[in-house]
Amino acid sequence: MFAVEVAASINGTLGRSILLIGLVCATFGALATVYGIATHDERLLRSTRRYAWGVAAAGVGAFVVMEIALIQRDWSLKYVQQVGSADTPFLFNVTAIWSALEGSILLWLLILVGYTAVIAHRFRKRLSDPLVAWALVVMFIVCMFFFVLTLGPANAFKPGAVGVTSGPGPNPLLQNHILVLFHPPILYLGYVGMTVPFAFAIAALITGRVGERWLTETRRFALFAWGFLTIGIILGGWWSYEVLGWSGVWGWDPVENASLLPWLTGTAYIHSVLVQERRGMLRVWNLTLLVSTFALTILGTFLTRSGVIKSVHAFSNGSIGPYLLSFFGLIMVVSLGLIAWRGDRLRSPGAIDSPLSREGAFLANNVLFTVFAFVVLLGTVFPLIVEALQNRTIKVGAPYFERLSIPFGLTLLFLMAVAPVLPWRKASLELLRDRLFWPAWCGALAIIVPLMFGAHGFAPLLAFGMGGFAAGAAFRQLILATRRQGWRGLVGRANGGMIVHIGVIIVAVALVASTAYTHSSRLVLEVGKPASYGGHTFELVEVQSFTTPRSNGIKAPIRIDGGKTFAPAITKFTNFGTNIPTPSVRSGLLNDVYLTLESGAKAGATSAPIKVFIKPLIIWLWIGGALMVFGTLLSGFPGQRRRLPTQPTSAPVPLDGPGDGPLDGPLDGPGDEPGDGPGAVSARETIDA
Amino acid sequence: MSNRLNKRLKRWPGWLALGVVVVVALAIGTSRSSGPMTDSDRIDNISQRLACPTCDGESVYESQASAARGIKQQIKRFVEEGTSSDDQIIQYIQTQFGTKTLLVPNASGFDALVWALPAFALVIAIAGLTVAFRRWKMAGNDAPTDDDFALVSAAMHEQRADNTVEHDTSDTSEPEPEPSHGS
Repeated sequence: MFAVEVAASINGTLGRSILLIGLVCATFGALATVYGIATHDERLLRSTRRYAWGVAAAGVGAFVVMEIALIQRDWSLKYVQQVGSADTPFLFNVTAIWSALEGSILLWLLILVGYTAVIAHRFRKRLSDPLVAWALVVMFIVCMFFFVLTLGPANAFKPGAVGVTSGPGPNPLLQNHILVLFHPPILYLGYVGMTVPFAFAIAALITGRVGERWLTETRRFALFAWGFLTIGIILGGWWSYEVLGWSGVWGWDPVENASLLPWLTGTAYIHSVLVQERRGMLRVWNLTLLVSTFALTILGTFLTRSGVIKSVHAFSNGSIGPYLLSFFGLIMVVSLGLIAWRGDRLRSPGAIDSPLSREGAFLANNVLFTVFAFVVLLGTVFPLIVEALQNRTIKVGAPYFERLSIPFGLTLLFLMAVAPVLPWRKASLELLRDRLFWPAWCGALAIIVPLMFGAHGFAPLLAFGMGGFAAGAAFRQLILATRRQGWRGLVGRANGGMIVHIGVIIVAVALVASTAYTHSSRLVLEVGKPASYGGHTFELVEVQSFTTPRSNGIKAPIRIDGGKTFAPAITKFTNFGTNIPTPSVRSGLLNDVYLTLESGAKAGATSAPIKVFIKPLIIWLWIGGALMVFGTLLSGFPGQRRRLPTQPTSAPVPLDGPGDGPLDGPLDGPGDEPGDGPGAVSARETIDA
Repeated sequence: MSNRLNKRLKRWPGWLALGVVVVVALAIGTSRSSGPMTDSDRIDNISQRLACPTCDGESVYESQASAARGIKQQIKRFVEEGTSSDDQIIQYIQTQFGTKTLLVPNASGFDALVWALPAFALVIAIAGLTVAFRRWKMAGNDAPTDDDFALVSAAMHEQRADNTVEHDTSDTSEPEPEPSHGS
């Protein structure tokens, strides 16, 4: 007993001390960097890297101490009392750290300090460059804010009540699937990664170097964060599908919306940034998108983690709200103030000549994505507004978002079909007639083939058609590029982007098919009497009970089509008492058979009520997601890492395509600093410079 | 496929044929009935439109809470009776539980804003774009002139002539026009 108390005080005190050291490092880092910039002290600026290492060590240290406390079952910590349990298996005990508010802020901090260290390391030779220095200052300030959170309203190292020697463990839904290990950290890698481009955007505004260079410095960071956010969201859908038992992947829950919002503005950004790199235009717009993306991650966290909005994901905790809201306010005021202050420099030269051009399509894309983000935000906060103004509760649920997202989805698919064939500057109708012909026939084929398989309904078929059309355009670009450049036609921004598009199209088609054509039935199965539904036979083998140290329940192995058995279950976690249904899924390329055990089943009985869902094309959601990630990688890492201008990838390719060869770079848009030319050559080379 | 055939296909008859095929296919698909709906499908549809009165933001369909399961049982009874329409069942549940089970706001009163604002935002965005394009058109005068483009493209053709030595140019099945006016 005594030994436990000593260990406890060690973990708690150690954790708090480490966090305090981190806060001090971040504060001194920010101050020293600002002082160094003000006094042009290069030596001081070069040494700021040490503060970044200090901050990183503290963030990692605090996380590790909490993990140790969880593994040791250090009951003197309030957080361990809340999410720890002696019965939780090792893996779920490790992941229990992010199963409640305080620990999830520690995870956020861990990733944030990671990014700070990566920047300090990556730009180690340029720390005396004011742009990099200011970016580091912003990173330090964001770190400071999160250290304050972990020491104040989200203190994971708070001592708990004396004499507690057991806890309930994490929420049952957070301890029954392996994806709990992957979904939260990956999502956070994306979420928190949006801080990096934001930091550089603020640095560009402060230094007045609002040309194109800061963009190219952070392009890969933005792409990287976007890629992780995409994986995180898709894994979340997969998890929901495998665990929750209602057979859906997306419920338009406020927390899901909070992860979608920065994804939408981030997607808008990674498209419109191309217009700025190529044409030097849309500067204010791109800065606004980056600021909104970062601000939305904070606002989303405020909405879902402060208890103002209730959701299945929300951790109830009150006192963190004002901190997050104030920080959100600070971000908005500072960013908008800076943009207003730099207004004169941000006015960009040049003009977009025609809506029917590559840049015109990017603008349309941006309008759609931002309006869609506005709709999602509005639907998410509308209940709050109504409650504040009229003191009554209303709900804005999935049907609202679904109804509004259909027109956006269809229009975006249409844009994805037209945009890749459009040249920069201006397109003629003849050119569109020529280039869109075969993609359009792909669209027709994409309506006819599902029709032969029995598909029906106007909206789903139109969506398939648009998907086929867009896929045709993407394949056209890839075919032309590979014809010209061989395998290199698959890498780089434009071509990798087309692979991402194909992934998006697959996801869209799978979403439409699985929503429009899901069928379900409730069957009461009897042992030895196969029943059939939806072209499959189901035979109940038996109804068994099972017990584990932390749960007990019943499961019903069911033989599908005379082959393998699948066992949906209902589990009761002893510490929680609620029944958790666990579905069992047979996945296939054409459809999934999704089984849940309904209430009323009894162990040892010869019959059991089950619910069967037949869901077409679900597996393609995950395949499409994987393709999106693959495409993101291809577009982020073109060829060799360090290229000389004489090497093949940057050598001029023949000028007969929409590729991003250096020679069809812009001829206008003078940069406003030396080496700031927006041409593709300089854009590429500055990355590694 | 020969280059000439490809070119000829892409003229208006090709597009007309495409239009006809798409319209016919969509018409067939739209008129086709969705097949018999099982009771379970109907229960799913109805319960997706109702909010679980005791949960935080879940529909009756998603929720495993006892209140939601109770409502599902009620819906099931109605559906099996087979006398009420979907809307009638929803109406009945709502008179019983109140607006708590409303998952989508009404399009009346203050709540109508949640429907009107998205449309308003779209209108604003499109108006903004129109204004921007008009302004760009006015400002477009100091953009490079056609003479400038001619000069640059002549220089690039020269360069291309140098490059073609190393690159395969036999492939002309789809000669792309210059990628941008500026090249």
